[in-house]
Amino acid sequence: MVTIKDRAIAPVAAYLEYILRRVLQAIPLLLGVVVVNFLLIQLAPGDPVTVLVGDYPAPEEYVKQVRAEYGLDKPLWERLILYLGSLLRGNLGYSFANRQPVADLIGQRLGPTLLLTLTALGLATIIGVLLGLLAARTRFRVVDSTTQVTALAGYSIPEFWLGQLLILVFAVGLGWLPSQGMRTVRSEAEGWAAVGDILTHLLLPTLALSVRYIAVISRITRASLLEVLSSDFILGTRAKGVNESRVMWVHAMRNAAAPIITVIGFNFGFLLAGSALIETVFGWPGIGRLLFDSITKRDYPVLTAILLLISITVVLANLLTDLAYALLDPRVRLGKSN
Amino acid sequence: MKKKLALRPSALVGLTLLASLWLAACGDSTPTTAPATTAAATAAKTSAAPVAGTTAAAGATTVAGTPAATTTAAATGAKGGTAVVAIDSDPDTLNLGATTGYSSGDVGAKIFNGLVWLDGTFTPQPSLATSWTISDDGKTYSFKLRSGVTWHDGKPFTSDDVKFTMEEILAKYHPRTMALMKRVKSVETPDPLSVVVTLSEPYAPYLLQQTVFDSPILPKHIFTGTDILKNPASSKPIGTGPFKFVEWNRGSSIRLARNENYWEAGKPLLDGIVFQIVPQGANRSSGLETGEIDFVVDFYLQKSDVKRLESNPKLQPRRGQGTPAIDFITLNTKTAALATKEARQAVTLAVNRKRMVDQAMGGLARTGKGPFGDGFKLVYNPDTDYDKLYPYDVEKAKTLLDTAGVKAGADGSRGTLRLVYDSARPQFVSGAQLVKENLKLVGFNVELQPLERSVMIQKVFADRDFDLTFQSFSSSGDPAIGYHRLYLTNATKTQFLNASGYSNLKVDELLNKAAVTPKSEDRVKLYTEVQTILAADLPSIVLFDEEGVDFASKRLSGLWTSSDSRDRWDTVSLAKS
Repeated sequence: MVTIKDRAIAPVAAYLEYILRRVLQAIPLLLGVVVVNFLLIQLAPGDPVTVLVGDYPAPEEYVKQVRAEYGLDKPLWERLILYLGSLLRGNLGYSFANRQPVADLIGQRLGPTLLLTLTALGLATIIGVLLGLLAARTRFRVVDSTTQVTALAGYSIPEFWLGQLLILVFAVGLGWLPSQGMRTVRSEAEGWAAVGDILTHLLLPTLALSVRYIAVISRITRASLLEVLSSDFILGTRAKGVNESRVMWVHAMRNAAAPIITVIGFNFGFLLAGSALIETVFGWPGIGRLLFDSITKRDYPVLTAILLLISITVVLANLLTDLAYALLDPRVRLGKSN
Repeated sequence: MKKKLALRPSALVGLTLLASLWLAACGDSTPTTAPATTAAATAAKTSAAPVAGTTAAAGATTVAGTPAATTTAAATGAKGGTAVVAIDSDPDTLNLGATTGYSSGDVGAKIFNGLVWLDGTFTPQPSLATSWTISDDGKTYSFKLRSGVTWHDGKPFTSDDVKFTMEEILAKYHPRTMALMKRVKSVETPDPLSVVVTLSEPYAPYLLQQTVFDSPILPKHIFTGTDILKNPASSKPIGTGPFKFVEWNRGSSIRLARNENYWEAGKPLLDGIVFQIVPQGANRSSGLETGEIDFVVDFYLQKSDVKRLESNPKLQPRRGQGTPAIDFITLNTKTAALATKEARQAVTLAVNRKRMVDQAMGGLARTGKGPFGDGFKLVYNPDTDYDKLYPYDVEKAKTLLDTAGVKAGADGSRGTLRLVYDSARPQFVSGAQLVKENLKLVGFNVELQPLERSVMIQKVFADRDFDLTFQSFSSSGDPAIGYHRLYLTNATKTQFLNASGYSNLKVDELLNKAAVTPKSEDRVKLYTEVQTILAADLPSIVLFDEEGVDFASKRLSGLWTSSDSRDRWDTVSLAKS
């Protein structure tokens, strides 16, 4: 006997099961990521101890002492097992180069990176969708092609170069915005003034980071909208005499949204990778820069932990994308019950 | 409505175009202001001649001290203000007793004191020690300590701190001073304000390594019985210096505040110092230009920015400040083509060192004048001046190679040489290009191998898998501290020692003797003799002596009293903007 109540719950239960399955699938994936990253990083040429002992010839017994202190004297397989063991106990390890627990180090850097990447993603989504809409709607070819060319340029510009250029123009040249960091370090503002201070520091790196995604999102929005707008049901809606802006926003947009959301979600991982360069250019105290520093210092524990974090974020972003998909498209939401 | 919308993207394009035009205009306008202010830079250059001291070993003398009258008089600035100093990355630790990291030293020099500090001529001046006596045999150093000094936590500073720091921290964890401590037989503390250090044999530069960088004094009461490296005070340091640690925002900044109880009355002048971490060289320069940053030391400065910064009326340059440093090419004597000294002399003749200075260093260097450069009075010898012995001469180089048996094949080539260098050092990158070009003219094909630092160290010093390598050594205050290692026999894989494979027992003997000879006149004789051998054998070719430039905002005064620009910031003051 199927009651009305059951009918309402069944799809939700199916959906929860689907989410659970996705999460469980992610576990072996993440384990694989950890092992491959660990091996790749440690097999790469270059010895972290050379960095740790500095620019001066340190006595050999000191080098040995440092090597033993960080467990680098053990064979690779043993280090991998030790690492996986401590990871399972929730211990991300100890950074050689910073002489600090990795978890503390990452914890301090997570906030700034989230602030930067989420702002950039939000900005890119709004501007990208609007530009795509404009390009798809316009009757003037010149507007369409200008948007397209701008988008192509935006996609092709290396973001670190753009960042450097923005600093030259807006910080050095015009003196409107600060060039470095997240706060004015000379005298740290408090309260609302601090928020304003952070916002002015946020502007240039956000711009530099989001340009590429504005380009990607505007192009996919345009393509997706054009496809939907040329379909029969839009013709039908228009024939019914539905007001044009309602056709656009309610009917067309909703149907064109799925691919846009996919692109936004799948690009989040790239955004994190891009932030490594942008954070370095702008001296932004985030994870990306920690990643960059850790590579040059061969700080294996930090490197492996950040790569793990990025992998988790990508898996999560993909999961959220699928959820949003389901929200927009009842066929996905109802799943097999249909 | 559509028309309005239609305008926007083209407006965007227009804006972009405008921006690029504006940029182009900027690029042109910069040089026009240059001539007016480069005069200042040139003036700074002439004032900073190579004059590093020979005062290390004064024999049996007492150096008593009123704390550096000359430098205190120079600082006339008013109190107050916070200076922003750029560093390149988070220090590995703020335990200055356990690191030689450059940014650690930058921050730590403001928080800690050594027993002495070195003035512009590398003469030791009193810091935590007010005076010292060196015994006639050069083995015993008796220090009188300053009274009334307190740690930042209020506890008194005594000779126990000195003994503990030397024996338990510097001897065990300081990568450079560890070797010095092996020369120390005992550290005794007859009373709370006296320390007597006895060496197993005399060591000329001993006192020069009692600075805050090589031998910072740390608090015994904080570190005793703890894991030195993991002690909280290794990241929240407690010192006796002019500034106290406030906070460290990793990846962003380190903040210090004035030590109100500093032992030198009326000092420091600044309210605080903030170290801003600026990872990109280009942005340390632009930070100076925007006024966000007040000081960038030469080490962190991109050489290609120097001309532009010199033309900025808001900035003051200081050239040739700091520890002598030589850049050189080490030749692998195990490589067949480089095995004879004639072949190595030929390579020396073939490298255009004058052009190297202009091209790789933007003129900010002096061509190498011998096996140790000319940064120290002790070592410069006109008889072994490379400019006279090995002036750039392609034809002579070719002839010499022929006589050395490194003959050209049918294709005119004498073979391939691999040149390995750290790809993060701009002067190596452009210098290597020039070496390739130069050696091509005498028949060598040079294969460039720019590598990441840690990989380069492995390849050069551990595997010795190279033919030529570009390196740079510095030697704080005395050639024995950092230059002897370039030529001493070395069979280990230790990084930044002699990687050439060259071993000459006579050279070893002379260098080791020069290190333990107290009198300057005697040392000069030894250096003259050893340089005659080295200038002929040439396991490494000294290309140039670096002559870097620091840049500071004109608002700062009282800088550069010490030979190391990172030290002695108690006299620095900041004018209101």
